[in-house]
Amino acid sequence: MAQFLQQLINGLSIGSVYALMAVGYSLVYSIMNFSNFAHGGVIMLGAYFGFFALTILKFPFVPSFLVATLGTTALAILVERIAYKPLRERKAPFLYFIISAMGASILLENIVIATIGPTFRTYPQIFDRSPITWGPLAIGRLDLLMFFISAFCLIALILFIEKTRIGKAIQAAAYNIKACALMGVNTDRIILIVFGLGGFLAGVAGVFFGMKYTVYPQIGNITTKSFIAAVFGGLGSLPGAVLGSVILGTLETLVAGYLSSQYRDLIAFVILIGVLIFRPSGIMGRSMEDKA
Amino acid sequence: MLEIKDLHVSYGGIRALKGVSLQVKEGEIVTIIGANGAGKSTLLNTISGFLKPVRGELRYKGKALARRPDLVVKSGICHVPEGRLVFANLTVRDNLNLGAYLRRDSARCREDLEKVFALFPRLKEREGQIAGTLSGGEQQMLAMGRALMTDGDLVLMDEPSLGLAPLLVRTVFDIIGKIRGMGKTILLVEQNAFKALAIADRAYVLEQGKIVKEGPSAQIVVDPAVRAAYLGSKSLA
Repeated sequence: MAQFLQQLINGLSIGSVYALMAVGYSLVYSIMNFSNFAHGGVIMLGAYFGFFALTILKFPFVPSFLVATLGTTALAILVERIAYKPLRERKAPFLYFIISAMGASILLENIVIATIGPTFRTYPQIFDRSPITWGPLAIGRLDLLMFFISAFCLIALILFIEKTRIGKAIQAAAYNIKACALMGVNTDRIILIVFGLGGFLAGVAGVFFGMKYTVYPQIGNITTKSFIAAVFGGLGSLPGAVLGSVILGTLETLVAGYLSSQYRDLIAFVILIGVLIFRPSGIMGRSMEDKA
Repeated sequence: MLEIKDLHVSYGGIRALKGVSLQVKEGEIVTIIGANGAGKSTLLNTISGFLKPVRGELRYKGKALARRPDLVVKSGICHVPEGRLVFANLTVRDNLNLGAYLRRDSARCREDLEKVFALFPRLKEREGQIAGTLSGGEQQMLAMGRALMTDGDLVLMDEPSLGLAPLLVRTVFDIIGKIRGMGKTILLVEQNAFKALAIADRAYVLEQGKIVKEGPSAQIVVDPAVRAAYLGSKSLA
């Protein structure tokens, strides 16, 4: 039982960071109907921004965190302006967006390899490595922080979408962007806000992944998991993305704990194949359209 | 109020409008009738800023019309789109509030909301309901109410009676009359030419991207060519 609870805690912690990344995919998908594969590159650069703020600029943790998140917010918006806006203006088919997204992803990764280099870098130690124990349970300080900050960001995001005027406009644009424009909403700005929000959360996730693991140019590949979580939860649905991520994170740690850590990555793809065959709209998805 | 001169618009590689000129005066109901594919929706979508003209002039209240949908709304033109396009994922109230997205005059917004509810009591009853669960007729009313909430003076209506039961079609046309009574000007695109001509002051007949006839509705409705093409053999009441 204790072991199960322990795995559950670890799973929630990692799942909450998956959720930060998954909502970035879902937000963009809900409005633009394509999967923004450049998101992984933005997360990777978030890890580097945080790393350099801590090591070269010698900033304390909180300012470094801000440098990373504001940096990725700007980067995500930049990707939108360069890679997608020209296509939007030409009313290009969605396949073009996916190709452009993949191009942006490859570009970001290779810019980092060419300038910063392919080596693995380790974040300086910021938090005490000794876990907080409670009876037989132990939880790392970093894991705890990850969980609480992620949960805070996700709740703030959902409140923003549900309660504010701009949030309502985002929901309206997700349903029908033309009708949304007919309400006087500047939909170009809505798209910008959506990329900015996704970018901010990508920065949070990037810093946490950098701290928990290491920083390297392919760290964005981890986002494959969060993309699967978003599809599992139902692409385009924010609660779905969060739920899918938490379930995926928990299942992964349970598989790693009870079977073998070698099977950990397998579970994500088993889920993906299962979802695509049996329930392509995911847990809370709104449609059965192509998820590409 | 609205003046369009020699408008040419391409849509999907096809020249959909070839030199359309028309005008709408304040307080009028003007209808554009024409077959499917004549360019009626293209015309409304161009006025609303979704399509860029190849050439031609669009003026509203004496000024060149903005070429971006949100700015067109801001300048005072609202558009009830074909197919209604209500936000099916949001409540009736949210839909109406979105109509007032650009407005800062909250006291007058509340007044307008009351006016919309007076016009469409059904919407008041279903205020908290998700719009996707409304019937087709109710969605059409919501689309109209939402447009009225923008406080535009000119209302563009694209096929408001499409897909509605005959009884509801009559209701929709009654409502169009009441909207004019609220001091709005209306540009109405309709396939139901008979009904549209009955309510409109003036009419334009659009064929393959060109205005082929224009005049007071009473004159258009007795035009033999129009009757043969759009009114069938239906006798005049």
